Amino acid sequence: MTAPTFKLTELMAIRCAKEINDGEVVFVGVGLPLVVAGFAMVSHAKNMVMFTEGGAIRATAAPGLAITVDDPCLFTNADASFGMLSTMAALQRGEVDVAFIGGAQIDKFGNINSTGAGDWTKKESFTYFAGSGGANDMATSGKRVLAIMPQDKKKFVEKVEYLTTPGFLGGPGEREKLGMIGGGPDCVVSTMGVYRFDDVTKEMYLAEYFPGQTVEKIKAACAWDLKVSPNVIETPSPTEEELAIIRGIDPTNFYLG
Amino acid sequence: MDLDKRMTLKDAVAKYIQDGDTVYYGGFQIMVPMALTHEIIRQKKRHLTTIESSTDVGGLDILVGAGCVTEIHSAWIMNWYVKAPYAIRRAFNKGHLKRYDISNFGATSALIAGFLGIPFIPVKGNIGTDMPKHNTTDIRFVDDPFTGEKTTVVRAWRADVAIIHAQKADRYGNVVSYGTRGVTDEFGAMGSKRGVIVTCEEIVEPEEVRSDPDRVIVPYYKTLAVVHCPYGAHPSACRGYYGLDIRFSQYQGKYERHEELLPEFLDEWVYGCEDHAAYIEKYKAKFGQEGLDRLKPVLGFTPKLAVDYGYHDPACWKGVPLYTDDRLKAYEEAIAAKKGGK
Repeated sequence: MTAPTFKLTELMAIRCAKEINDGEVVFVGVGLPLVVAGFAMVSHAKNMVMFTEGGAIRATAAPGLAITVDDPCLFTNADASFGMLSTMAALQRGEVDVAFIGGAQIDKFGNINSTGAGDWTKKESFTYFAGSGGANDMATSGKRVLAIMPQDKKKFVEKVEYLTTPGFLGGPGEREKLGMIGGGPDCVVSTMGVYRFDDVTKEMYLAEYFPGQTVEKIKAACAWDLKVSPNVIETPSPTEEELAIIRGIDPTNFYLG
Repeated sequence: MDLDKRMTLKDAVAKYIQDGDTVYYGGFQIMVPMALTHEIIRQKKRHLTTIESSTDVGGLDILVGAGCVTEIHSAWIMNWYVKAPYAIRRAFNKGHLKRYDISNFGATSALIAGFLGIPFIPVKGNIGTDMPKHNTTDIRFVDDPFTGEKTTVVRAWRADVAIIHAQKADRYGNVVSYGTRGVTDEFGAMGSKRGVIVTCEEIVEPEEVRSDPDRVIVPYYKTLAVVHCPYGAHPSACRGYYGLDIRFSQYQGKYERHEELLPEFLDEWVYGCEDHAAYIEKYKAKFGQEGLDRLKPVLGFTPKLAVDYGYHDPACWKGVPLYTDDRLKAYEEAIAAKKGGK
């Protein structure tokens, strides 16, 4: 039997979905998380509760591919829909297990930048992205943060240029000092591998590398001296069945292209 | 009461939006008030400040690109289908635009504080990041007066006027928006000082709206103008009417990207169209009726839960003696005897 061929974005999405446990309340951010959540809900996490910023609360996968977090399909046969107030308030009440976000740039403490590139105070050279959206709120108060983003050296940096969304900030104890109720980053899945955070130093380390990738290649696509778990493993390739599901969710490759 | 607030897009914007106003910019990634955006550009309104939580499809980007907006308070702005807010980026670089960043729930909470008529409100996010460093206009810290803990607070946002798009409204201005309750529109709209301009897909009879008042997000007294405007949120989606026009957003985004091209987009699609109906006609002429047909939603999801807003008439109590029993009577007689004995 020949191994199925797949794109790294497909493996990224499938691997990331496995970080969601059945029954968890997952706040799903815009972009790739919408595809991953859809996958989780029809495979191993059929009892997952899906929240979006638009205010949808769902026990079942949306009937179509949600392009936006208030996409009409998220509200078709939703379990509840109140607007942003309801789902965001649940974050503040501490009811969200997983804050699931994308981002433009991440650093070794899991801080995320989705505001822009450059020095904000030097207005003439700052390149604006979209801004926080709900990512800041999600990462502040969700019990744990799951992040998904394509990897290169400009995206995986020593220190984010603009700190939009809190990871472990400057290191251990800083979140607690500011009274954040969420536990901070737990896992990052990129197009190259899977990362976790050291319990003591709170620094991101490589836990798994994708098939076809090497630790050296991954370290080269990371702007700081990335630490590697002594138990680092190769992520298993996706199965035909998993690939069929993910391709069914995003048939036009809107997110996975 | 028979106040008919229906008017043209042109009259609504001319009458109710002034240069220098703070405008609540409705919608989110869908239900973006694009027809109103175009009309504000056509009428060359200037020095507007916008407040909203998040906004997509480049509506705010072209409003900034056309020179109408000089200050924005927001959590997230871009044209998601080209992955950037190009005109906003340029305006910020040139110093033409002040931008105040905040998180989505920070923004929503600021609008809720405006809705509640209170000066500020605590939130859990934003602390520890660069947003409060660069936006002390909206985000500050106070000691919780009860626990003494450092607490993030955001200033109440109250617009002069709110612009929103909804599925339905009646001629009085009762606004029906379903599926998300407008995400944050009920707060942004109700917190506005002068009132709300609404564009809607359909004008319905007040009797129809009153038959289901739970769906109203803005009651008539708060509404300034009702504009019947099919496809008023295009290229963003309007739930139950049309989906997101990704191809048009990408097309518009390419014009947003290039400073020298954007004026040509505005000339053709905004200044070159008398109103939104003309814009849709232009769309059909350029991209075909099939372009609009492709946006047709999958329908057939009308509520299966029967709801009856029936009421009870208290006239039924007329002539009905008070309920009592032997225990109550004995107790009451004992009290009366005690009082009488003194």
